[in-house]
Amino acid sequence: MSEQRDHLPTIMPTSNRPINAGAALDDDTARLDAVAKVTGRARYARDRYEPNALFAAFIRCPFGAATLTGLDEAAAKAVPGVVDVKRTGDEGRYHGEPVGFVVAESKHALRRGLRAVAPKWKRGSVKTTITDDAGPIPATEDDVAEAIANADHVIEAVYSTPVQTHSALETHGVVVDHRGDTATVYASTQGTFSVRDGIGDALGLARSEFEVRCEYVGGGFGAKFGPGKEGMLAAEVARRHERPVYVFCDRAEEHLDTGNRPSSRTHVRVGFAKDGTPLATRVHTWGGVGVARRGGGARIPSQRYDLGSVQKTHEDVQFNAGGPRAMRAPGWPQGAFAEELLLDEIATVAGVDPLALRRRLDGDTARRAMYDLGADLIGWSRRAKTGTQSSVVRRGFGVGTTSWPRIPARAEAEVVVHRDGSVEARTGTQDIGQGQRTAMGVIAATKLGVPLRLVTVMIGRSSYPVGPGSGGSMTLPNTAPAMMAAALDARSKVLEHVARRRGMEANELTIADGYVIRGEERLVGWEDACRGLPDDGVTGRGDGRSGAAHRGEGTSAGVQFVELTVDSETGVIAVERVVAIQACGQVVSRKTAESQIIGGVIQGISYALFEDKLLDRNLGAMVNPNLEMYKIVGSRDMPHIEPVLWTQGQTGVRSLGEPPVVPTAGAIAAAVFNAIGAPVRHLPLTPDKVLAAQEGGAA
Amino acid sequence: MKAFAFARPASFAEAGELLADRRYSLPVLKAGGMDVVDHMKEGLLEPDLLIDIRATGVRPAGISRTDDGGLRIGAMTTLAEIAASPIVRATAPVVADAAGSAATPQVRNVATAAGNLLQRPRCWYYRNEQFHCLKKGGHTCYAVEGENKFHAIFGGGPCHIVHPSNLAPALAVCGGRVHLTGGDRPSLSIDDLYHAPAQGVWSEHELEKNEIITHITIGPASRSGFYAVKEKQSFDWPLVMASVMLRTQGSSITAARVSAGAVAPIPWRLPAVEAALAGVRVDDDAGLRKACAGAADGANPLSDNAYKASLLPVAVRRAVLRATGRDEKEA
Repeated sequence: MSEQRDHLPTIMPTSNRPINAGAALDDDTARLDAVAKVTGRARYARDRYEPNALFAAFIRCPFGAATLTGLDEAAAKAVPGVVDVKRTGDEGRYHGEPVGFVVAESKHALRRGLRAVAPKWKRGSVKTTITDDAGPIPATEDDVAEAIANADHVIEAVYSTPVQTHSALETHGVVVDHRGDTATVYASTQGTFSVRDGIGDALGLARSEFEVRCEYVGGGFGAKFGPGKEGMLAAEVARRHERPVYVFCDRAEEHLDTGNRPSSRTHVRVGFAKDGTPLATRVHTWGGVGVARRGGGARIPSQRYDLGSVQKTHEDVQFNAGGPRAMRAPGWPQGAFAEELLLDEIATVAGVDPLALRRRLDGDTARRAMYDLGADLIGWSRRAKTGTQSSVVRRGFGVGTTSWPRIPARAEAEVVVHRDGSVEARTGTQDIGQGQRTAMGVIAATKLGVPLRLVTVMIGRSSYPVGPGSGGSMTLPNTAPAMMAAALDARSKVLEHVARRRGMEANELTIADGYVIRGEERLVGWEDACRGLPDDGVTGRGDGRSGAAHRGEGTSAGVQFVELTVDSETGVIAVERVVAIQACGQVVSRKTAESQIIGGVIQGISYALFEDKLLDRNLGAMVNPNLEMYKIVGSRDMPHIEPVLWTQGQTGVRSLGEPPVVPTAGAIAAAVFNAIGAPVRHLPLTPDKVLAAQEGGAA
Repeated sequence: MKAFAFARPASFAEAGELLADRRYSLPVLKAGGMDVVDHMKEGLLEPDLLIDIRATGVRPAGISRTDDGGLRIGAMTTLAEIAASPIVRATAPVVADAAGSAATPQVRNVATAAGNLLQRPRCWYYRNEQFHCLKKGGHTCYAVEGENKFHAIFGGGPCHIVHPSNLAPALAVCGGRVHLTGGDRPSLSIDDLYHAPAQGVWSEHELEKNEIITHITIGPASRSGFYAVKEKQSFDWPLVMASVMLRTQGSSITAARVSAGAVAPIPWRLPAVEAALAGVRVDDDAGLRKACAGAADGANPLSDNAYKASLLPVAVRRAVLRATGRDEKEA
């Protein structure tokens, strides 16, 4: 029972964050799969090397645009171990687009086969950036144009963000074990049920005839819904050969063809009063969608600030690159980057404190209180006025905001109590690293009133009760009420049995700390009580309706403060501290909640400073499809991050996954502007751009 | 990756015999293996014999003092050993800091001194099998018209790589020499170890096929300093780096050696800066600034890397300040 052992809770107090003590149903339990994950015992889909498995991979276009003029299928088939070679298309519209695939008996034979097919390509001309084919800005409505023209001040500026790839540690992939009339699908997915719903036809099986399993996921971030082309290939090959098939992207494929956060350009023209109050704002955004048709939206205005009368238009721009997919708060970090930096530019022109300006423009009561707490924690009073520093190393402070709605989804849960006192908490949703397994265990244990060590959490299977995909930050807000209801249902069923045997009324009894209690009296221990259950135990059930009382309402508001330094001679930015205040309703597991916030901030820092999917302008090939030249934040670039769980007035479980990634890049850009006195309006904020901004005033 | 034979010779002589073995068309030496294995995985190198000289008796003893007050560093000494060595720190801090600044702790624990000197460039066109660039027998340097943010601002092409070694410029300013076995030459200076692309684009160094570096020697360089500017402070290749060695009398600089990295296809000596530094007092901030200001004179940037010309004087001045034991960001 290694799985059971893996789930034994580990207690590691987070004494370094006393500010969050007592905020959660559970304060100190480390994630239930922490030991399994750090020891390598956790078995990811990518680790599924089934006996007798085949391996398959796509033949991909190596350029931005190219026609396949030759493919040496015979040579590839002559490679020992190569089972099949198939050409599926002739046109590559982007680097990484599949035009065929190879199937082989081993990974090595597969690689040799992929080289032996030696595709011949005729290259075409390419567009590689969002600006290559961007249309003009549509006309501004008269009243907006007039309001801007009549304002005391006007700022007109262009902000841009690069393509960011999801760069999940576990790449995209699926292993299909096809046994003719049944199958098991091991998926690295954010949507166990979305894989089930998408892969059945390719398997040639009814949904009742196969199971999707997703025990662990090495990162999702929005790009892992449905079976994907990897899953479809695995299913097709597995069905044909009735053998297990393994299809996982390598690192380059992961960068090239599994979606991305699209690039953006934001043109803003804002007219504002002497005190910085925006009167009217004209926003036009372009989204770089590669060969896709849509999905490039940038969320500006965010609606968190009053920007006067606003006219917003948007155009999605195509070029020769893989299309976008949802990525952690799709569209929001792009918008927040431009909006937060713009607010600081307005504040600087108006000569007002940018925090004071936000307080004036932001009507959210929770955030207004967060501004005060955050300013205190970061030491905002130490902030020098923008453009006043002349030392080599200059200090900057910035602030940004976020919010996230609760998105409803169907979720069901079961809590089984066995006669030996052990408990199973079941729901089909997956843990993509956010701590879902831990949260489900904590909820089942606390609502039952038993120690967490008695609970085995069973998630990530399509045969378990249905639950949502992990996107839109909707996993826990929807599964928590269902699991709470299931645990309470199981609890009352246990108590009914105890009461019946003792001739009592069930409503006289409760369970706490592993005992059945009547009034002040410990009536019987949990395990003894469970011995009186029927042979097959009892099962509690919950869903969105029965759990409605536990549902969180309203939005998850947040504010982040950044302190950093800029070396004015080298342009190198060192982020020193981030204070991230975040509401998420009732916190279930303090550690995993804090970890969600920290993770969002880290991804935001990486986006702000480093990440950039770069295509060769002539050939359209990505020049940095690895983790060496596609730069992701590392340990020495990590600031001290202080997550603050906002508990004031919070009831019910709400969203947490996405909101912490929204404001970070904008707050960093604002802090850089504060330090050097010139806005750097284009991510990533690399030294060359910082130096250029210093020299030219604005970049 | 093709199948290959794997050999573990017991001596340099035996390794040399294997290199000369006519049964193999492409025998390749592997020390730490950092770069060789990368090349094999990328499909850029397909040796039929891999000669592992790391974990055998040929591994020369690490670091020792020489009679002239310098150091002898075994070819297979790891970057981590160099960075942590008290005698390197005392004798040539520029070398300790250059070694300690490279890559990651994991890489430094495996990568060797000689491997660092002979590693191939990190140019993203060179590293990508799809680009048949000059270095691979093609006719084009894709960086010229393409993405060249991290490429050379000196050296004149036709290939615009930057040499990736942290150690090479640091050893160069310490009068470093590589000592060889297997050929006719007993040693080469670091400055003579490399050639510009115009003198041959298929390799970066002057070693013959059978020559193996056994160890490196440097002269005393207690007043020396290293400074690298990186975008990312964890695991990133420097945008520019500077190595400086000073001779001083009282508080005056009497002689200086300056070599820049990540700006040219070879470690790039800056003789004009060396000359300008002579006679400047180490506490004369304006004088040091002036002497270093011309570090990028003569640079010929590509479309996207002119910023390197702005960074280079800063890196050189900071390396000078470090050589004098001062905080580089205060002056």
